[in-house]
Amino acid sequence: MNLEDEHSAPEPDNTSSTESVPSRKPASFFQERPPQVTEVAPQLLRRWTRRDLLLFGAGAIAAVAGGGYLLPQTTLKRLGIIYENKNWPRKEWLLNRSLRIDDDVAEALYSRNRLVPTYTKSQITPLRNNYNGVTPDASYIPEWRLTLDGLASGLSVSLDIRTLLASFQLHEQITRLVCVEGWSAIAWWAGLRFDDLLRAHPPMSQAKWARLESSVNLGPWGNPDPYFVSLDLATARHPQTLLATHLNGGPLTVEHGAPLRLVAPVKLGLKNIKAITRITYTKDEPADYWAKRGYSRYDGI
Amino acid sequence: MPHSTQLDNERTTTSTPEPEAGVLVVRRHHLLVRCSHWLNVPILLGLMLSGVSIYWASPVYQHKPNPQTGSFDPLADVGIWICAHVPGLHQYSSPPDWIYNHISLGPGMLAVALRLHWLCAYLFMLNGLVFVIGSAIGGGWRSLLPRRTDLRDSLKMFWYYIGLPVARLTRRVWLHPRFNTKYNALQRVAYFSVPVAGLLSILTGWVIHKPMQLYWLTAIFGGYDKARIWHFWLMWVFVLFLVPHVILVLADGWDTLRSMIVGWSTRAERSEDFSQ
Repeated sequence: MNLEDEHSAPEPDNTSSTESVPSRKPASFFQERPPQVTEVAPQLLRRWTRRDLLLFGAGAIAAVAGGGYLLPQTTLKRLGIIYENKNWPRKEWLLNRSLRIDDDVAEALYSRNRLVPTYTKSQITPLRNNYNGVTPDASYIPEWRLTLDGLASGLSVSLDIRTLLASFQLHEQITRLVCVEGWSAIAWWAGLRFDDLLRAHPPMSQAKWARLESSVNLGPWGNPDPYFVSLDLATARHPQTLLATHLNGGPLTVEHGAPLRLVAPVKLGLKNIKAITRITYTKDEPADYWAKRGYSRYDGI
Repeated sequence: MPHSTQLDNERTTTSTPEPEAGVLVVRRHHLLVRCSHWLNVPILLGLMLSGVSIYWASPVYQHKPNPQTGSFDPLADVGIWICAHVPGLHQYSSPPDWIYNHISLGPGMLAVALRLHWLCAYLFMLNGLVFVIGSAIGGGWRSLLPRRTDLRDSLKMFWYYIGLPVARLTRRVWLHPRFNTKYNALQRVAYFSVPVAGLLSILTGWVIHKPMQLYWLTAIFGGYDKARIWHFWLMWVFVLFLVPHVILVLADGWDTLRSMIVGWSTRAERSEDFSQ
């Protein structure tokens, strides 16, 4: 056994003193093959073992360190590994990168012609009031108007709910709303197609995004906390993306975003903004309430 | 190191003697299989830690809120019970969070947990590909295929493992069932189930992640809510596999552990009656 062998791949045929036990031919493609028995010098086996133990050991240490580094700081603090918050921009970069890759995958999966499954009325499930904080006081509803900005005309358009209901055809659909938290609900919606609104009030030609805002949203202590989401116009033009005015056969109630809310079943629930007060069309991706809080931005499901 | 004396005698007659007698080895695992095996450790750990945090955002299994504790989650109840009964934990700040504080990233970490879960999930899929390539090149996949006799033989193996500690304590002879394949039937069932569970975890994960675009896959698993249940219990398949897996490897000894690191095993004599 010569020393050069340690640099070669640990293949039995590369070693100088190999002998294979003759084996019978296997009966089928799926049958287990007899193992190749090889004779090696003990010192060579020891060398391989030492080399691979060191390599795999180094890999294990790197994996533990790398994996631990990716854990949230609060978890590391709880485990007693770090004692104070540290500034790790690269870690944020890596985690955000994986989030962006996942968003790109979601965008690639999206097809405007692919309809989401619809359900029957007997499959409807209760839809909870999911205002993150406090449900706004219904007093905003009589004064409510929808403002459109970033239009091709360069003007700002303000519409009330009567005008909207009178000028657009209402569509009904029973679809599933899926929350990022994991729960879901099947609800019966009716409303105008976002696509119809885009046709009636076309956005400026370079626009690729819509920023939808609800100025009536409240924070956890009842403080004004405007809610806003970004929505790509490709999703806005999906035939099942509604600006809903009705839920379960009646007009929207305040806890479900009266008088007008977004129902985009191809997006997570957090994009389905309630009580929309302003839609602004933009060229660049606008900010998003939950993306600022560490969630993904595209949220296609 | 186990030698076959018969083979050693044979060797001395046929080849020139060397200063140290050679060791008979068999290749057990391809390099790529070994890499993917060990990469699964941090990846699965990351997936489970973040997965339990995601589960906590909206537990699948819920009961009516307990009037005293406000808990609606049976897992949180376990934490409440632990805090109430384990000395030193009576002062724990939030008993319903105890379980999630100790088996996940912690409660209220949904955004962070999701990011970590996606990162690990993509790595897990890539790693699965490494395993598939490694077992295709090395041919190891053949040893994992189930056989008709596996059910009966794995029960025999199970009985052997259960009785072994008792037999050791009572100094009775407890014979290992004979087999002439790379794995015994119980190992084969386990090692075949784990890649299947991995594949199902990936598929149900995609269903939960993209239930609308992959609606046909969602339908296969019985809908979005059922897919969450599948995904949840598939995690437990990994846990249930891991516990005896680690115990048995440690009990079996250095050669088995080394074969997953170096790729070679010195238990070559068993292969003699392989094709008989």
